[in-house]
Amino acid sequence: MSNALTLAPAPRSEAAERVRGEVRDFLAAELAAGTFSTHVDTWLSGVDPAFSRKLGERGWLGMTWPKRYGGHERSAMERYAVTEELLAAGAPVAAHWIADRQSGPNLLRYGTEEQRREILPRIAAGECYFVIGMSEPDSGSDLASIRTRASRNDAGDWVVNGAKVWTSNAHASHYGIVLVRTSPADPQNRHAGLSQLLVDLSLPGITVNPIRILDGGHHFNEVVFEDVVVPGDMLLGKEGDGWHQVTAELAFERSGPERFLSTYPLLAEFGRRAAATGDPAQLAALGRLSARVLSLRQLSLRIAAALDRGELPNIAAALVKDVGTTFEADVIDEVRRVVEVTPSLDSPDPLARALAEAQLHQPGFTLRGGTNEILRGIVARGLGLR
Amino acid sequence: MSDQDLVIETVRDILGGFEPFDPTPERRWDDGLWAALADAGLTGVGLPESMGGSGGDLADAVAIVRTLASGAAAVPVAEQLLVAGPAVLAAGLPLPPVEEPLTFAAADAVTSAPAGDAFALTGTVTDVPWTGAARHLALLLPGPAIALVDVGGLAVSDAANLAGEPRGSLVLDGVPALVEPINAAQARELRSGYALARAVQLTAALEQVLAWTVQYAGERQQFGRPLAKFQAIQMELAEMAGEVTAVTALTDAAVQALMHGEDDFWLAAAAAKVRAGAAVEVVARLAHQVHGAIGFTQEHRLHHLTKRLWSWRDEAGGELHWSRNLAVGLLADGGDGLWPALTRVV
Repeated sequence: MSNALTLAPAPRSEAAERVRGEVRDFLAAELAAGTFSTHVDTWLSGVDPAFSRKLGERGWLGMTWPKRYGGHERSAMERYAVTEELLAAGAPVAAHWIADRQSGPNLLRYGTEEQRREILPRIAAGECYFVIGMSEPDSGSDLASIRTRASRNDAGDWVVNGAKVWTSNAHASHYGIVLVRTSPADPQNRHAGLSQLLVDLSLPGITVNPIRILDGGHHFNEVVFEDVVVPGDMLLGKEGDGWHQVTAELAFERSGPERFLSTYPLLAEFGRRAAATGDPAQLAALGRLSARVLSLRQLSLRIAAALDRGELPNIAAALVKDVGTTFEADVIDEVRRVVEVTPSLDSPDPLARALAEAQLHQPGFTLRGGTNEILRGIVARGLGLR
Repeated sequence: MSDQDLVIETVRDILGGFEPFDPTPERRWDDGLWAALADAGLTGVGLPESMGGSGGDLADAVAIVRTLASGAAAVPVAEQLLVAGPAVLAAGLPLPPVEEPLTFAAADAVTSAPAGDAFALTGTVTDVPWTGAARHLALLLPGPAIALVDVGGLAVSDAANLAGEPRGSLVLDGVPALVEPINAAQARELRSGYALARAVQLTAALEQVLAWTVQYAGERQQFGRPLAKFQAIQMELAEMAGEVTAVTALTDAAVQALMHGEDDFWLAAAAAKVRAGAAVEVVARLAHQVHGAIGFTQEHRLHHLTKRLWSWRDEAGGELHWSRNLAVGLLADGGDGLWPALTRVV
């Protein structure tokens, strides 16, 4: 096997199992109190700032970050256990998800000391939310083709013009990390001339327009920048290093348990149904799906352990996202084959509701964070094919 | 170099002297390779020296089995080191000399009756790996119990799996055996251990088939460039890599669960067998697709492993058997218990 895809097994972590139990107890109590209800794909659709603040109070956000920035200096394995429990329960985690997963780590690596001290503690408290500013109306998979421009004015500030799309929950977020072109496109080196800006979304000149997804939900937005003046010190990292920095984010973005657990609440309902009926075909389907969950957990845990060791396993992360998101969609098909159930968002049957939610969100699983075709191209490079 | 790397290199060196072949009733197994492995003490690895084994731990035994599986070696090493040997020891029976091949089977329709100091077995055992090659058989009987039988002189049928590996039947008519009872948990561990042994072999063969396919795609030129440069081929190879990597991670975790004596080991083994078997669908199909017509012939090496993949996935319980058992095990605490069970298994 190619070294780029080979990952050492993750060590067992007693600390992770301890915090897993704490999160499980917390979620059971919140569910019993009715503060949230289980849904599919809640890391996109479940915006609930009060819930995010509760997680912050318990120390379950910014878990791996230094304490001086409001973090808790815990291991990636502990963070993995927390995120996995939240996703399995279908809890409303969308408000803080991007900030906790990748914007915070990005600020830790590239932010100024002032930015870290100002913003990271608020993320860890569950009070400050981020969006990813990468895709544009004419730049989807071909990220290097972005046209949003930032140029210096006489005061040394950045003037930003352009538009970003699919910016999840921009209408409920405070900052974006926006990939912009800071020097003209060079056909000889398409990855040059890109930079990342830390942008306060309340700045004048920013318009947030909703883009509704298939179930009518408002999560996506178009964020338009018209002569937005961003202070000069909000450059993240180095001018011209944007491509490299974006790539470094992707190991975080692509390998977490949200890349195979988006439809877990549907699988959980299916498990309840199979337990109730004892139907052999349902049990067989549940067993097949469960074996896939178990293998994906091992892959994702291995990457969490590699991140803990300071590695950036981008190729393995691309592979996990390909295999994991394919699984998320397959859950729908497998369940339909063995249960007579009509998907409906307002059915009294929780399985029918979960199936409807999953089906209407399904096209997004294998698109967001890099389409599976792009991911397979990255894996092919890891295999030495290109 | 670790001890385990040394073991792997030793096996590879030995394996290099023997060509894979299609076993037939005339040549059922590679007795020369077996003798070479036995001479090097490799047919007793993972079995305690005090019992006549060669010592070393389970991880070494797994490494040997993986190396031999990726080389399509026609020898009953997986059976001896990972299943039959541990079965004999679990029952407190004497381990036969490790130079003499020992195999394993489960038989629900065989009865044992006391006969003097030992027992006499009656009934038919089907799907016995390496019939005609194995000298001894560790037989899991209902009860449960383990019977240790000298099958050296018994007539066997010519049945074989798709790769030609002997999988014959034995008719026992009062055949003498040593029999010792085991408990139900031990019996379940042995059945799942057998499944894990096949999962380990499948994993190694899947990895090798991927490596061969990547290599072939880089060498084979069509339309003036290597197959590997075509995006359609890259997508197929990436899909194969995804399957293989997922299988490896789970099989490794199941082996770890076995080494740590985890209570839920049998669930991990069941999952590994299901996952590995499911990957065969994708990996064997795409490997043949990329290899083209030459891979569809006995002139190319690919078939030695793809035929084993298509066989091993159904041996020791196929995906249907183990997926149902896995689901029942995961739902042992009811429908709400699925997630806690999934996070406990591995």
